[in-house]
Amino acid sequence: MEAMIAVNELVKQYGKAKEPSVKGVSFTVNEGEFFAFLGPNGAGKTTTISILTTTLSKTSGSVTIAGCDVEKQARLVREKVGIIFQQPSLDPNLTAEENIRFHACLYGMFGYRPSFALMPASYKTRVTELAEIVGIEDALFRPVKKLSGGMQRKLEIIRSLIHTPSVLFLDEPTQGLDAVSRRSLWEYINETRQRYGTTVFLTTHYIDEAEQVDKVCVINQGRIVLSGAPDEIKSSLRKRELILDAEDRGELINELSGMGLFHRVGEHVVVPYQDLSAQEVIARLQTTLTTLKIQEPTLEDAYVEYLLKTGGKAA
Amino acid sequence: MNELIFPGDRSRFFRELNAILTITARDITLALKSPGVLITSFAMPLVMMGMLGGSLAQNMAEGLSFDYGQFMMVGMMVNMLFMATTMGLGSLVEDRMTDFTQEMMVSPVSRYSIVIGKIFGSSFTAVASMCGTIIVGLMMGITLSLGQLLLILALAPLMCLSAGALGMMVIGVVKNTRTANTALMLITMPQMFLSGAIIPIGNSSGILLVLSRLMPMTYCLDLVRAIVYAGTEDYANVVLFDPRVNFVAIAVLTAACLIAGTYLFAQTEKNR
Repeated sequence: MEAMIAVNELVKQYGKAKEPSVKGVSFTVNEGEFFAFLGPNGAGKTTTISILTTTLSKTSGSVTIAGCDVEKQARLVREKVGIIFQQPSLDPNLTAEENIRFHACLYGMFGYRPSFALMPASYKTRVTELAEIVGIEDALFRPVKKLSGGMQRKLEIIRSLIHTPSVLFLDEPTQGLDAVSRRSLWEYINETRQRYGTTVFLTTHYIDEAEQVDKVCVINQGRIVLSGAPDEIKSSLRKRELILDAEDRGELINELSGMGLFHRVGEHVVVPYQDLSAQEVIARLQTTLTTLKIQEPTLEDAYVEYLLKTGGKAA
Repeated sequence: MNELIFPGDRSRFFRELNAILTITARDITLALKSPGVLITSFAMPLVMMGMLGGSLAQNMAEGLSFDYGQFMMVGMMVNMLFMATTMGLGSLVEDRMTDFTQEMMVSPVSRYSIVIGKIFGSSFTAVASMCGTIIVGLMMGITLSLGQLLLILALAPLMCLSAGALGMMVIGVVKNTRTANTALMLITMPQMFLSGAIIPIGNSSGILLVLSRLMPMTYCLDLVRAIVYAGTEDYANVVLFDPRVNFVAIAVLTAACLIAGTYLFAQTEKNR
């Protein structure tokens, strides 16, 4: 599979900083892949994404998007990418549709016309369709400053996708969104990936959003500290637990102690297990259980543990 | 990807032109949505020409070998174009503060197209100011022929580009509105006094002479006066340079400012 994004030994040193913000980062993202770039605040995520999207110059290293160098072929790179910035970048005094029209015309999709009515039918259809999908069709002709934060984010999504980019950069796209908006946003982005094979590069502080991605890279203090598929990362954590409880909790605890199993007692009795399987533990118990849950580690567990291990701070 | 209407390098020129038009149209849309800005631009000549120019005409114009009213009218028309275009560029700082510049910077268009689009967008209010100047001139009994007005209007885009290019050298690096307002005053006021807009500069010397020769507005004004005074007795008293010299000076200064201003703007955006 061809690498859509190839980053090799990327370094970024800001003018007055004592040390580089990004220190020799390397990774690849294949065509059509869903890639999550995670890390705590100040780890170098936004610096990296800014270099990848041609808005910031690098100090050294090489970065290519779809085979094009981000500095030598910046215009070609810009044609291929769509971006949702961490901070909204809409014109608050224009209507939602005027913001979209500005973007579509700037990207050379349509010749500029001074009103929606004068735009070609293909533009009108596409804008209306996208607005319906993300649920802002009623707000299309309202000034952006009168739209809620969630609606503005949805508008940015339409705008970033209207030129159907090969690579979509999402820099904390769901920040400030309610649960319903987050869900509908991800449904739409997944649908776009399936329909167009779009490569998605995501940074987020909501680690659960990265559970479904193909590959995760964790950056901390300017260096990649962890990378792989979410399942690989989780399995490497070896942190599986049984959550148990019984009416006769004392008897249950005695039994676990007798089996030599470490356990913690809180709201329930928590039994970490590694060498035995959950089946083997439960089969040996005689006490009648009232609670039985198997707890697998989440990506967030793995993320936090690795950051703490490498001296970083969780976001 | 979607089919682009301007695909490939052959149509690159039209694509850039479309981008300039799009950016210009955005600023015009914003101006039309803010009637206050348009009304102020239209009314500004009343203060600048009616009060400042009128007072100078009444108190200091005696002894001049030419009609000061017409001299000042032409000066104010060009001055208003320069001032309003430069002031309008302040919107770029607002765009930076709302992060809208990022939207433009990640688009696949030349940085020059972005800057030129912004300059032409800003010049919309400048044209309103120029119209206001013509009306105030009429009220003061100073008139220009239709032919002269059309020629000045034809030169207006070049003058706005020149004004905007100079403004970009400062605005390109400014990051907040407060600094921008001060910076804009530093650009517009010296030009008004040193380039011959309301005060004849035929006798300037020393540093003031050097500064006046470095200002693109000096040559824009002189070019417009060459048109207005062509074939009249006052031509030799009012016009400083051959129109071809003016044209070359405007082109060279505008190109230099545009290149430097665009570079500074792009670098500032890249190092936010």
